[in-house]
Amino acid sequence: MAPISIPGRREAIEDQRAAGGGLAAVFPVHNPRALLRSFGLLPVEVWGPPSARGDRAAAHLQAYTCSLVRCGLSFVLAGGLDRADCIVVPHACDSLQGLGSLLLDFVKPSPPVLPYYLPRGERDVDRAYLTAEIESLAERLARIAGRELDRAELHARLDREEQADRAAAALIDDRRRLGLSNRRLYELLRSREYLPAERFCALADSALEARGEMEAAGVPVLLSGLVPEPASVLDALDAAGACVVADDMACAGRRIYRACAFDDPLERQAARLLSGPPDSTRDCSMGARVAHLCELAERSGARGVIFFDVKFCEPELFYLPRLQAGLREAGLACLACEVDLADALPDQILTRLEAFVEMLS
Amino acid sequence: MSIEGALRYYLGTGIGKGVLRFERLRNEWRLRHRAPKTSSPFSPPLSTSPWLKELISRHYLTGRYADAHRKVAWVTSGAPVEFLKALGYYLLYPENHGAVCGIRRRGEELCQAAEEAGYSRDICSYARTDLGSLLSGRTPVGRLPKPDLLLCCTNICQTVLFWYRVLAAHFRVPLVIIDTPFIYSTAPAHAVDFVQRQLELGVETAERVAGRSIDPAELERVTRRSREAVELWMRVLERARHVPAPITAFDEFIHMGPIVEMRGDRATVDYYRALLATLDLRIARGTGALKQERIRLIWDNLPIWYRMRGLSELLARHGATLVASTYTNAWGELAALIDPSDPMRSAARVYLHPILNRGTGHKLDTIQRLATDYAAHGVILHSDRSCKPYSVGQMDQRERLSARGIPALLLEADHNDPRAFADEQAENRIQAFLEMIPS
Repeated sequence: MAPISIPGRREAIEDQRAAGGGLAAVFPVHNPRALLRSFGLLPVEVWGPPSARGDRAAAHLQAYTCSLVRCGLSFVLAGGLDRADCIVVPHACDSLQGLGSLLLDFVKPSPPVLPYYLPRGERDVDRAYLTAEIESLAERLARIAGRELDRAELHARLDREEQADRAAAALIDDRRRLGLSNRRLYELLRSREYLPAERFCALADSALEARGEMEAAGVPVLLSGLVPEPASVLDALDAAGACVVADDMACAGRRIYRACAFDDPLERQAARLLSGPPDSTRDCSMGARVAHLCELAERSGARGVIFFDVKFCEPELFYLPRLQAGLREAGLACLACEVDLADALPDQILTRLEAFVEMLS
Repeated sequence: MSIEGALRYYLGTGIGKGVLRFERLRNEWRLRHRAPKTSSPFSPPLSTSPWLKELISRHYLTGRYADAHRKVAWVTSGAPVEFLKALGYYLLYPENHGAVCGIRRRGEELCQAAEEAGYSRDICSYARTDLGSLLSGRTPVGRLPKPDLLLCCTNICQTVLFWYRVLAAHFRVPLVIIDTPFIYSTAPAHAVDFVQRQLELGVETAERVAGRSIDPAELERVTRRSREAVELWMRVLERARHVPAPITAFDEFIHMGPIVEMRGDRATVDYYRALLATLDLRIARGTGALKQERIRLIWDNLPIWYRMRGLSELLARHGATLVASTYTNAWGELAALIDPSDPMRSAARVYLHPILNRGTGHKLDTIQRLATDYAAHGVILHSDRSCKPYSVGQMDQRERLSARGIPALLLEADHNDPRAFADEQAENRIQAFLEMIPS
């Protein structure tokens, strides 16, 4: 089986530039990717990045702010986003809210900063608000891109994003037969953070075409949390003999949205963003998250759930005790780990992961 | 709601109110006849203090028996409560309960109870205090009534959303969410529409739970009283512009109880009117809250509830006092937006605009305005580990204030968890800060 070649961020950015397209740097979690693409902007997500040490941000943010935001701000201050045409900051939590506000009021990076508010619900009233909010974002994007919103183009981009969602879901569903390590699986899934949907679909198709008949061995586990960083955690899972068979990561599985049918593409974009699986940053009941995780585990055969959270991440930390209790009640073992994105994976966590997988095997 | 419940409610609150009135009268008498402490840097306590104590105690006393006879709602501190008041709900504010626990030095033990149940030490200490109280059954106010409804408004933080999700799962009661989009610069019309529509949906849920429809005239009356109380509260705060200030922000942190918990009640309006008269008397007599006021400071963020006395004494020893705070100011500055003749639309505007729902630049402007209006010499920015929306931005705010000639100190602490506060370090930093202030 030929290994799949996954383009890196730099390559994707250079290709976009070479094709005369623009770039939108976007912070987590839920982004109107299709809208950005319809203005000729490639959304490139900024989850930290872990390589950007949080030192520069120390002059602006207290140490008790999460490392995702600290690293993100450091990256901005180091000029990492200077080539972007705009910086989109969705409102996902108090810390990202603070980051958006700091960028606008004090840091003032050279690319324009475009915050937008994501309502915390799936009611009609939420969709109506988000449609108006996205329309307002579209007006700001039109000024940056120097062109008006093309509604037919937005519908076409939404179609492609839906296709990419189906591809991502198929990758996770068939994960056992892909012949990929945990790290490689997430490299593939997370390439969606910077690749155009159509390139991601092509990559996913290659991976799915190359799948074998035999199911990979390994202790099946479900991975939940924000983002699997530092990525060495995935190597640690490989080494411990675990196979991630289901995903509830904010950067991956929680962004596989339902297909939405609306005549107005802005409303369709809004409905799409509200249609993802239960997610702490979009508000949902404790019960909905427990039920979703149980369903994922049952469908995939996962024997345990590993929560891999970023320190100081209130949305995740509030849910954790109830999720763990609910999952244990359903007979699923749980392990909760907290990390700082900018730090190496502590040995203590490695040991706990090993012990957890051993216990499940 | 049974006859037995009604009897328990009226008997319990009736007797209790009598006892509280007696205590108030006794305390007022003591205050009038107590010889002033010559060694104290403070003037005698405000003469309305016993009345305030009675008011707050009555509120929690009613709470002890409320669920036997009335519908109860637990609400976030910045929530639009007027429609619940108009429907006759008893309202409990878990954050205020958290503050009471903090003042009575029970915060740490209750936080620990929540941590033992798996809640991280990195989440808000109000939430940990409240959840710890819920899980352990311990509270310094006797008993908290069980809610029939939860009302969570996100205009103070997103934390409350997660916190109320835990409460909803615990109590299995309806949760009304009023989601208030964060205002980075100005509020767009669609944000006001969004909040208004949610309020209307919230009323429907509250009516269903209460089993009765809202009376528009009663809603208007409650809204009018809310506005009256908020205006009076603002006038109380503005009295501290006088030199010497007749009231400090430390006093205000305590006296803000009614405006947070009992907004819309007649008793709150009466109380603030009396407090205002007391302050005017102090001003007329030239009496300051501090006997020797030398340095006037602004406070930013929540108070450090468990160190209020220690901090006020430390400042007072240096002739320093807090003359205003962004926190207490937040409960008064939006009075003009309240329109009793259009309660829902005006509530949507008001509850969208608290300082905590606005950008870091707006907060800097507010601090600067307070510093000018209150002739302050400097600012203490409480970097509150438990309140990220309030604290993020303070480092830039400090730099900009200093650059504009307003000395500012960043004080690391936590509003309810004393384990995140280092006494000696804080004292050293405050002393050094006060020494460098030219007064």
